[in-house]
Amino acid sequence: MKRMTHFIALGALAVAQAGGVTTLSAQSGAGPTDADLMSSATNTGAVLTNGMGPRGQRFSPLDQINAQTVSRLVPAFAASLGGEKQRGQESQPIVYDGTIYVTGSYSRLFAFDARTGEEKWEYDARLPDGIMPCCDVVNRGAAIYGDKIIFATLDAHIVALNRNTGKVVWNKKAADYEAGYSMTAAPLIVHGKVIYGNSGGEFGIIGRVEARDVNTGELVWSRPTIEGNVGQLNGKDSTMTGKLNASWQGDQWKTGGGAPWLGGTYDPETNLLYFGTGNPAPWNSHLRPGDNLYTSSTLAIDPDTGEIKWHYQYTPHDGWDFDGVNEFIPFDATVNGKKMKLGAQANRNGFFFVLDRTNGKFVSASPFVTKTTWASGYTKAGRPIYVDSNRPGAPTTDKGASVFSAPSFLGGKNWMPMAYSQQTGWFYVPSNEWGMDIWNEPITYKKGAAYLGAGFTIKPLYPDYIGALRAVDPATGKIMWTYKNKAPLWGGVLTTGGGLVFTGTPEGYLKAFDAKTGQELWKFNTGSGVVGSPVTWEQDGEQYIAVMSGWGGAVPLWGGEVAKAVQHINQGGSLWVFKLPKS
Amino acid sequence: MLLDRRRALALIGGGTAMLAVGGRAGAASLDKVIARGTLSIAVYRDFEPWSWREGDRLRGIDVELGELLASAIALRAEFLELIPGDDVAADLRNAVWRGSVVGQAPADVMMHVPVDRQLALANDRAVILGAYYRESFAMACNRDRVPDCEALPPAFKGRPLAAEIDSIPDFYLSSVSGGMLRSDVHHYPTGPAAVAAAAGQEADGVVATRAQIEHGLLAARDRLVQRKGPLPMMLSPGWNVGIAVKDDSRDLGDRLESVLAALVANGKIPAIFERYGVVYRPPAEA
Repeated sequence: MKRMTHFIALGALAVAQAGGVTTLSAQSGAGPTDADLMSSATNTGAVLTNGMGPRGQRFSPLDQINAQTVSRLVPAFAASLGGEKQRGQESQPIVYDGTIYVTGSYSRLFAFDARTGEEKWEYDARLPDGIMPCCDVVNRGAAIYGDKIIFATLDAHIVALNRNTGKVVWNKKAADYEAGYSMTAAPLIVHGKVIYGNSGGEFGIIGRVEARDVNTGELVWSRPTIEGNVGQLNGKDSTMTGKLNASWQGDQWKTGGGAPWLGGTYDPETNLLYFGTGNPAPWNSHLRPGDNLYTSSTLAIDPDTGEIKWHYQYTPHDGWDFDGVNEFIPFDATVNGKKMKLGAQANRNGFFFVLDRTNGKFVSASPFVTKTTWASGYTKAGRPIYVDSNRPGAPTTDKGASVFSAPSFLGGKNWMPMAYSQQTGWFYVPSNEWGMDIWNEPITYKKGAAYLGAGFTIKPLYPDYIGALRAVDPATGKIMWTYKNKAPLWGGVLTTGGGLVFTGTPEGYLKAFDAKTGQELWKFNTGSGVVGSPVTWEQDGEQYIAVMSGWGGAVPLWGGEVAKAVQHINQGGSLWVFKLPKS
Repeated sequence: MLLDRRRALALIGGGTAMLAVGGRAGAASLDKVIARGTLSIAVYRDFEPWSWREGDRLRGIDVELGELLASAIALRAEFLELIPGDDVAADLRNAVWRGSVVGQAPADVMMHVPVDRQLALANDRAVILGAYYRESFAMACNRDRVPDCEALPPAFKGRPLAAEIDSIPDFYLSSVSGGMLRSDVHHYPTGPAAVAAAAGQEADGVVATRAQIEHGLLAARDRLVQRKGPLPMMLSPGWNVGIAVKDDSRDLGDRLESVLAALVANGKIPAIFERYGVVYRPPAEA
């Protein structure tokens, strides 16, 4: 934990100007500021934030690569993460100042030269033997600020490195890995604070969104996601989350789950953070009557105090393991002739939600997968209309009471982020068509003792595909086009001013689609499954695309019929960078 | 190829206990641990009264049993403390047949594995054997505050009841009698913490494993009384507890199983249980 006080003067940088879009003009050793991060969605000369802008729209106005030129796209270089440590690479690259920063599996961070792919430095977190990550050893990306590059580790630390040297500036324990906590999401930086959610440890925990001073790593505020728990601000107790025992019985609020493990987005206009929360604990809903607030919800939080400004609960009293953690993406649109500040989320439960992002009021919910067995729809007030017979039974009932439920607990959409095109006004949602048989399993064991678990089998809904990349019009909820993929989709989406949509497939391809029609225009096989999120930027007058390749994540952990679609996919661990050939 | 042949021989040897114990028939794993001079033993971390740390010292029934097993075959015991995963299948993967996801090698043998046919079938990379105890769930009440620990569940309405979070005692108390005790359930991170709550001021009663209850009584017999009658509608009838080795180490497992049987017969294992206040119960016949 040595504090590095290097001052590194950087050479003059080529700064590209193109087509009226701004590029960061003062790239220097000082590094990105708060203001730079806030305007990162329109800065095409760099990729400064997870989600390509604090709102997480994953839209770039760049159009050199477009429907006409994309067929000529070729690799510029590839860079291996090396070693025996492969497995899932779910990271999104950060690009700044001639360097591409990517996180790798097993809590590693790499700095590659953005022009040649040569490695500048590599940081390997020394992970303790006892970590128990639930779903592979992934990491989803880093955050950049000033002279630092910051990421979270599998043993639940937040580590800030000097971005020029890879040396540790600070390293703080955010949670106890021995209690089952882990961290995989990219942190978010707002107002000089690193903001993240805890993850793992589904039982005996409560979720928390926390903010630390970006320069020191000291905790500024902590906001529990379960009502009845008291938050912290500047080392003192702040306010209680919600109202004690309003939607929980007894002391269940002390251990109610709701981990916001996927991180969040931020809207500078409303000055609100949007964090999604996980499902409630224990898993069997019959043991915890009530809505179980604020699990399976989006929370709008003040970035300076950690106060909750509003909440919306997607799956009240969840019984199917439908996390609400997915990214809530702010966008503006006209609804019933009125211009509105909105936000959208594609939920595990199979519905695509549009909310008023200023107050959390429900606007619409429409299915983005073909089958939602657990609810027939939503009321005007935004409550699900449950199909009661589809709720898994009480633990005292027999194993015989198996229900088939779709989506499966892996969700209509899992962690992989969707994108919003400012050009088409549509969202591009990486979804999966699968369901599950779920039943109470009377003979299971946990921690050396008998235990009442859930038995489940995940089943594809259709013989020819599981993955489905869909264009959704948020104004109508209509599906505008669908691209079907044999294996489940598990990577993020990028959309551009060139009228394109990019996403990766487990089969190894990075693919480009026409944003209007869904027609596949280009593909390239990276040699291993793509489960990362692609980005684009401009460098030396040329548009670049980058994506991580490396098969893994939660899908290979589940067997059954899903395994058949992915059994021939090999592991890897590489950064791939593409551009158009110089004519 | 050689490995395959050795395994086949070991499997044949496993059929007759004497051959396996003799360890001559290409017994890869047993030979290996004997050559090494140590037996690495996985035990659960923070798992009183079976394996937990008191200050720096690792102690408990499983720890002493492991030491006894190792010394019976002239080996030194080494312990690997295991953080429990989502289920025992994860623990078997981490501690017995694959090792942890970050590269920690598995142990030679894991203690406290439920001996259950279905569990064994679902985890065929591990060999589960050597049942050494019969476990089940039990209840204790605070003597001063509960007039009758034998009463039916509805009689406990309004009394704080302690249970380990996300355990069968938790599910039992939260669902018995139509869930009428649900808001009375107080959750604790471990069974012993729940027992301590009932021995102290926080709870009137506790449901935990029988070993946890009896071990807790050792220091709190004046404050706690154990329920004698069965728990109505209890979700588990009990289970046998044994050991597990990797599928290619069946010869080691067979050897340890026969040592365990001898140590039960000569009273050394029951004596360990007694020191921790736990009544020794032999495993039930399948």
